[in-house]
Amino acid sequence: MKYLGRRSMGRPPMASFRPHLKILFAVCMCLVLLCNVTEPAQAKLVIDLNNPNLAKMPIAIPDFASDQPGSALGKELTNILRNDLYMTGLFHIVDSVPAGVSTREEQTDFRLLTESGIQALVKGRVHIQGDQLTFEARLYDVGMRKMETGKRFTGRLADRRSIVHTFADRVMQTLTGVPGCFSTRIAFVGAAQNREIYAMDFDGHNLAQLTQTGTIILSPEWAPDDRSIIFTAYLKGNPDLWSLDLFSRNQRLVSGRQGLNASARYSPQGDRIALSLSVKGIPQIFLITPQGDIINRLTNGRGNDISPTWSPDGSAIAYVSDRAGAPQIYVTPANGGPSTRLTFETKYNTDPDWSPRGDLLAFTSRIEGRFQICTIRTDGSDFRILTREGSNQEPAWSPDGRLIAFSSNRQGKKRVYVMDARGEIQIPVTSVAGKAPAWSSHRIR
Amino acid sequence: MSSCHLKLAAIAILVVFAVLAGGCARAPVRPTPGPQPPGLGALNRGGQVTEQDMQVVQANLKPVYFNYDQYTLTPESQAAAQYNAEILRRAPHLTILMEGHCDERGTAEYNLALGERRSRSVAEYLTTLGVANRMSTVSYGSELPVDPGHNEQAWTKNRRVHLRVSN
Repeated sequence: MKYLGRRSMGRPPMASFRPHLKILFAVCMCLVLLCNVTEPAQAKLVIDLNNPNLAKMPIAIPDFASDQPGSALGKELTNILRNDLYMTGLFHIVDSVPAGVSTREEQTDFRLLTESGIQALVKGRVHIQGDQLTFEARLYDVGMRKMETGKRFTGRLADRRSIVHTFADRVMQTLTGVPGCFSTRIAFVGAAQNREIYAMDFDGHNLAQLTQTGTIILSPEWAPDDRSIIFTAYLKGNPDLWSLDLFSRNQRLVSGRQGLNASARYSPQGDRIALSLSVKGIPQIFLITPQGDIINRLTNGRGNDISPTWSPDGSAIAYVSDRAGAPQIYVTPANGGPSTRLTFETKYNTDPDWSPRGDLLAFTSRIEGRFQICTIRTDGSDFRILTREGSNQEPAWSPDGRLIAFSSNRQGKKRVYVMDARGEIQIPVTSVAGKAPAWSSHRIR
Repeated sequence: MSSCHLKLAAIAILVVFAVLAGGCARAPVRPTPGPQPPGLGALNRGGQVTEQDMQVVQANLKPVYFNYDQYTLTPESQAAAQYNAEILRRAPHLTILMEGHCDERGTAEYNLALGERRSRSVAEYLTTLGVANRMSTVSYGSELPVDPGHNEQAWTKNRRVHLRVSN
């Protein structure tokens, strides 16, 4: 029960631990616990995301009750919540509760649940009137025998998926301190004949085609306010940077300089765009305004520099350069300065994406002739390989830093997959051929 | 096309260097007399070319192939570029677009940079061979394979710079 404990904010992440550090850590934890005495004296049901040995939390999510006997809706909504929480890799989902525990009544036999090793419980109820859905759900701390969060939602039946996702976001907020990403969208590029931009819910539902350009499109990227998507396209024959307004659906040319206008990424504040331009000959990393004016040039080496990614505080940029003979990942201050090489593990490391939590970079690495999604800490330590099957590329973190979207050909055609940050659960989320996933920052409806 | 001026400057430097390097050059900068490209007898030297001439030129140009993850020219790709230079020198008024391509292995974004670099390698080599046509480059990365296969045979064909001529 390593994840059960008091909420301790701001504890530094720990990767490798030596024995004497463990003692130091224990002392620190005692101090943290002492500090927390000022809080209400109640243990909290907490998933500590900084614990490297995090065990899955057993959570019971029995089918939601429905006042229409025989209705499949209760089960459908339950499965949305189960899938959301399962995808994080943080939970062991128990579909049914032990015999003797009623899911319908307010009274719950917490003792029986505790004996079954279950630590959290979600109970829900659905009610339909016409096309109106009322959904009420509660998260219980089984050990403390109390409700942690609960909410009643009323909305259109057609919006039932987003209603359940909203509750799942709330469960994650309660247990981890960070809201879930289940209400966000993923944009990607079609990988068949059609290379247009699509967007879908994080779990692949509500797929919509966003562009009708008839050209090749690369590298879609949401603006931080999620009101537009920038992308590279050959609308005028050259790989130019365009912006698609998601409300008016107008397309605007942002950078049409000769050569590459590629791999553009918005700064977290939305005031700058880092991208690769070859206007000076060799592709180099530049910063431009959202209107397309050059602010400054960040790299000036002899290699091809591409694929910038911003640190969450906007102070640094990681990017790919083959200046050492093969593509590797480097980090440079966003206001200019010398670059530091980050990756040394293999001869081909590309596609960096900086985690919104700030501690990790996900990237693509060539290992034994195939491409795998890996993570590395920002100090270059703790290189981990998350994928094994087929070729996997183009990692993109979810805004809460829990999930990674990527493209994989492990089942034939290239498709968008989503996995948890440790790579334990890897699921194709869409049946259409797709690549270059990009995750929105916020809830989008 | 401001970069054309830059390119012309680069071309001038490279040409001077090539002349100075002269006989002691290790790389075969001067084209060796190879087989005469067929069907080009009607091309006017230095004059305006017709649409038909352009099609003949286009049909005779060879793709320039590359090794995996490389943008430097191999002896084989230099030979193909020399063959192309022979044709292009006879049609100096044609504009040439160097389309750089990569095989499917690798990252789309990095391949875009690699394709750009390949197209520039060919453009620069052609200028050292005395090709004075207006040249520009475009990279398609790994987006437009000529062979959709997923094997070494297809990859070899897809790592290329395709020369496209226009008036």
